[in-house]
Amino acid sequence: MRSRNVLAAIATAAATMGLAACGGGGDSTDSTFGDASASDLEGQSIKVLMPYKMPESILKDFTDETGVDVDYETAGWDSVASKLVTANQAGTYIADVTEFDWSWTGQFGGNGWYEPLQDALDPAVLDDLGGTKDSFTADDNLYAACYANDFKISLYNKAMFEKAGISEFPQTFDELGDAYDKIKSSGAADYPLTMPMAATEGSVTPWYLLTLAMGGELFDEDWNPVFNDPDSGGYKALQWQVDAINKGWVSPGSVSLDDGPALERFTGGAAASAISAGPGNLTEANDPDTSAIAGDAEAALVPGEDGPGASFGLQEGFGIPVTAESKDAAAAFIDFVLKPENQELMYTEGGFLPCGKTALDSLASKNKIEGGDVISQEFDQIAPLFPQGAPKWYSQFSSEAQGLLNAAYKGDMTVQEALDQLAERATDLVESSS
Amino acid sequence: MTTGSTSGTWGSARRLLGFDLTGSAREGANLGRLLVLPAIAFTAVLIIYPLIVGINTSLHENVPTINAPADFVGLENYTNALKQPSVGSSAVQTVWYVLLALAIEIPAGLAIAALLHRNFRGRGLVMAVLILPWALPSVVSGVLWRRVFDPDSGLLNSALVQLGVIGEPHVWLADKGWATLFIVCVHVWGMLPLVALVFIAGMQAIPDDVYAASAVDGATPWKQFRHITLPLLLPSLVVALVVGTVNAINIFDEIYVLNGTALNTRSILMEVYNQTFIAGQFAQGLALAILVGLVTGALAIGYAMLLRRRTV
Repeated sequence: MRSRNVLAAIATAAATMGLAACGGGGDSTDSTFGDASASDLEGQSIKVLMPYKMPESILKDFTDETGVDVDYETAGWDSVASKLVTANQAGTYIADVTEFDWSWTGQFGGNGWYEPLQDALDPAVLDDLGGTKDSFTADDNLYAACYANDFKISLYNKAMFEKAGISEFPQTFDELGDAYDKIKSSGAADYPLTMPMAATEGSVTPWYLLTLAMGGELFDEDWNPVFNDPDSGGYKALQWQVDAINKGWVSPGSVSLDDGPALERFTGGAAASAISAGPGNLTEANDPDTSAIAGDAEAALVPGEDGPGASFGLQEGFGIPVTAESKDAAAAFIDFVLKPENQELMYTEGGFLPCGKTALDSLASKNKIEGGDVISQEFDQIAPLFPQGAPKWYSQFSSEAQGLLNAAYKGDMTVQEALDQLAERATDLVESSS
Repeated sequence: MTTGSTSGTWGSARRLLGFDLTGSAREGANLGRLLVLPAIAFTAVLIIYPLIVGINTSLHENVPTINAPADFVGLENYTNALKQPSVGSSAVQTVWYVLLALAIEIPAGLAIAALLHRNFRGRGLVMAVLILPWALPSVVSGVLWRRVFDPDSGLLNSALVQLGVIGEPHVWLADKGWATLFIVCVHVWGMLPLVALVFIAGMQAIPDDVYAASAVDGATPWKQFRHITLPLLLPSLVVALVVGTVNAINIFDEIYVLNGTALNTRSILMEVYNQTFIAGQFAQGLALAILVGLVTGALAIGYAMLLRRRTV
């Protein structure tokens, strides 16, 4: 009993290793799958592990067409991530198709945990995915196929801005600051901006976004951190966030808010804008079932220093672990879900903006994409967060950033101290991985 | 000493294991061995074997998959784990959690046990209500309490503003001191029923005759508590200390739900989680977990030795 819980923690991790040792695992890639005929797939079954639900009709249609049964399981995003790390490390089977976030490309691909898909999927599907493939490519291998084309845009409450005498969303951070002061003084909102600032993954992305929007980058081409120079975009971004607290633009309680609750402040009508939202959030904000401001929410370009700033994508995709048991059926499943008509359905029923150009164009032509004009313009502003591809040590870097940025928001550290420490850790990570 | 001897260490061991028994006594011993076999097997498979594998892994280099060949690196993972910049502050923070939790749990648990030890109407109902927080998963209680501490719409700020104690809402979890205190309070809220039950069980084991005899000698309730209850509760106190210490060292859910992985409230087990599951450094994370396990085990042994010294 005396060290039950700690032992349990050790045992949980070690047990996976014990199982791996017994089972032998399947840790080598298999480049031969993906060309099975329909009759080969008949009667197979696959397990799919994802953080989000998918329209039931897509799963049913897939089974009807291929004869493959689908066991579709969902768990929270963080939970899925932990399960995948543990299972892949142990080399044990977890599912045939899994979630694959853009930020995992370096770690999951580099560790050889996922199958390269460039030769396994339908060439027409791959061609249609266009540039979204870059987010999941490392060492010339494509490790996932994009299904959610998430990227950052700004959302604002038009009624609140108009109450403060502002007819359009500002395009620069200086103008945005003036607008927030006016909104506060007009009484339209006590805290005009909502932004997650807790020590969580969801709270780090606003800093990434502001860094790019202020013309900066996180690392140079040799992976040297460049965000701790006072003239850098990263430094100015964090300073702007700290100022936003001190000037009362965001609620002081934001330092303990994750992205979900932070967005609720916008959809609940407590905040007038969210500058680090996604296209799916606009649909949610204008849905009377989920929002108190339905009809007032509008999309806007992310502000910049002299005009609209850069944004970045946070695509999510389907991957096939090397330990998958039915890789042909898994590849067939991905091909099926990424058909243009199914991607359209995933947008209209689930809010996942398609990654495929055909589905996007079709939705746009039918005027089905809410905020379509802004979304289209923001597409042109998207810049890569890591031009060389997400590094293997991204999750460690992000984990360090969560705590240090949060310490700066709370005033426990100065902006310089927090970013210097983060730069030091980043340098250690780069050195240890090279 | 020979193998045939029944004296000395070997003889003692044989007697202890029941090998020198005859007839029905031996059958009874064999039945006993048979009955504990499943428990031993489960412990071996679920605890001992993974622990051995874990220790072995912690002594080898970190590799992407467990089946990949890994070089023996000795204690390198242990030193690397301790070199992580936030491990020191997390360890110190965990010590604070333990000290504060015990400082509240032990006296409050004793007080509750003393109250509930007496017979009164509705005692059963009070006991049932008391146990509820313990039965609630710590993540659930963390989410409930987060609502209370919410700076914008939380119950705590609303009540304090209404009462005029504070002028405007305060962000309690942004301040290290307040955040530590409130995290401990949430933890204690869940643990207190268990500690109180341990003390109640201890009090119920004390014979009523002792109290009756002392009452005849003129002992007041306080003197009875001071000179009878407390000394005889020493074994229960050790159990409560062990349970309280282990659970406070292992504090995780409450912190994660209330304050994420914020540096100023991070516990040592959160460091284990970060190194193992976020950074994917399994070998290094296991090394840190084993060190925490050793410290916890040493503390538990220390408590047991203290008890032995006081009672022998």
